[in-house]
Amino acid sequence: MDKRFIAGILLAVGVLLSACAASVEETPSVVETPVETEAVVESAPDASECLACHTDKQKLIDTAKPEEADHEAESKGVG
Amino acid sequence: MAPLEPWEKVLVDAEAFLATDHGELTCIECHNGTNVSNKDEAHAGMIASPSEQPDVYCAECHEEESAAYPAALHATQAGYWTTINARNGGIPEDHPALEEMFGNHCASCHTSCGECHVSQPKNVGGGLFTGHVFEKTPPMTRSCTACHGSRVGNEFLGKNEGIPGDVHFREARMSCVKCHEGAELHGMTETAAGAEHRYSGAEDPQCIDCHQYVADGSDSIEMHAQHGDGTELSCQVCHSVTYTSCDGCHVAVSETSGNPYFETDATYHTFFIGLNPIRSEDRPAKYVPVRHVPVAPTSYEFYGENLLRNFDVLPTWVYTTPHNIQRNTPQNASCEACHTNPEIFLTADKVQAVEQNANASVIVKTVPPAVELFLAAMPQPAAHAELVSDSCVACHETGIRNSPMYPEDHIGFSNESCSGCHKLP
Repeated sequence: MDKRFIAGILLAVGVLLSACAASVEETPSVVETPVETEAVVESAPDASECLACHTDKQKLIDTAKPEEADHEAESKGVG
Repeated sequence: MAPLEPWEKVLVDAEAFLATDHGELTCIECHNGTNVSNKDEAHAGMIASPSEQPDVYCAECHEEESAAYPAALHATQAGYWTTINARNGGIPEDHPALEEMFGNHCASCHTSCGECHVSQPKNVGGGLFTGHVFEKTPPMTRSCTACHGSRVGNEFLGKNEGIPGDVHFREARMSCVKCHEGAELHGMTETAAGAEHRYSGAEDPQCIDCHQYVADGSDSIEMHAQHGDGTELSCQVCHSVTYTSCDGCHVAVSETSGNPYFETDATYHTFFIGLNPIRSEDRPAKYVPVRHVPVAPTSYEFYGENLLRNFDVLPTWVYTTPHNIQRNTPQNASCEACHTNPEIFLTADKVQAVEQNANASVIVKTVPPAVELFLAAMPQPAAHAELVSDSCVACHETGIRNSPMYPEDHIGFSNESCSGCHKLP
């Protein structure tokens, strides 16, 4: 009787411990969701695409839109 | 200032910019747009001037400046409307036409945070200063005098031929912000917050902020001892030299190009001392330099008839603070250079007939007499302090009540002149 009772207690404790162990193992997997990694991946090309053009003098010359004429070109005298 | 090439205006110095605090932000965080290499796609939805919304894009780090700046004069342009409304008479039905005029010819002077701190102002063509690096202190000639150039800039930097630049620049190499500090320009001072005009409220900055010894009489200069308390002369009366005045600016929209333009009839150099049209406790000087502004009754006639129907309410020779200060000037060379010298005073003969009424408050009727006359003038009896009337001639012209009659050489003097010589004891 006692042996069976003790065996039952041990079994229950074992189950409980294994449950705890499982939850401890799962926690890192939740933290490791790729949210932050994705954000970093997004920002890196953002800077490079804009800067790639806006630091390239020749590319800016080639792609510049012709400027509109000076709006005050027809003005006369001191403004 | 030479305009920048289109590519120069948007060329980013990555090495310099990325090393700054603003360089820690991604481009899209401020400018929107899309992160692709195709130009049109990348620029779709782009915000070229994020700082037009300082509360959204600047306030997180620059909270006080962002909160105050929308009410500062560089943002509101309230000074324009104060004078436009006054000369119009505040007629509501004229406002659509005036607003159209303002939008075409004046609104481009509105200035965003970025137009002082990262790029040239748009009304001189824009363009990044230094590869998108933000400048805490705006570069003077590419920012301040890029807009304030034809008068203040040319005077301060000595660009008017034959007229020296301001001593504060010429000898001390001071830039604009040395006197006009950030708090003032951002609308964070008591005077600048929500100002209606640049001359609203107290003088700020004041010359005596630095030259305190002039006001307290401790510099042993006789002219400062006589005039330095600020109630008779503004500092510029003695220490500025010839400056720019303009006549007859008219605005319109070109029939050929559809672009707005202006024409100014004349630009010339003057130095005239007038009566202070905005005399107050804050600006107590009786005499100030006056500058002719190019407004005319017909300046806005392209947009509607008689839009300046209340033209005479403000002078066209206006209170001014020329930025070409010199220690020694023609008018402070001797007492006689100013006293008895009508050449340097805005007398009626120097004002166009159609502008006589508008300038009645600034025209000097009696040039200050010789110093000897001042020194010999008998003081007023102490009891005159209690007189209600300020009309001296009412008694002293006819000699009623046994009052002494003024001598022949006083004929033509006006009431406003009497207390200049005949002081109360």
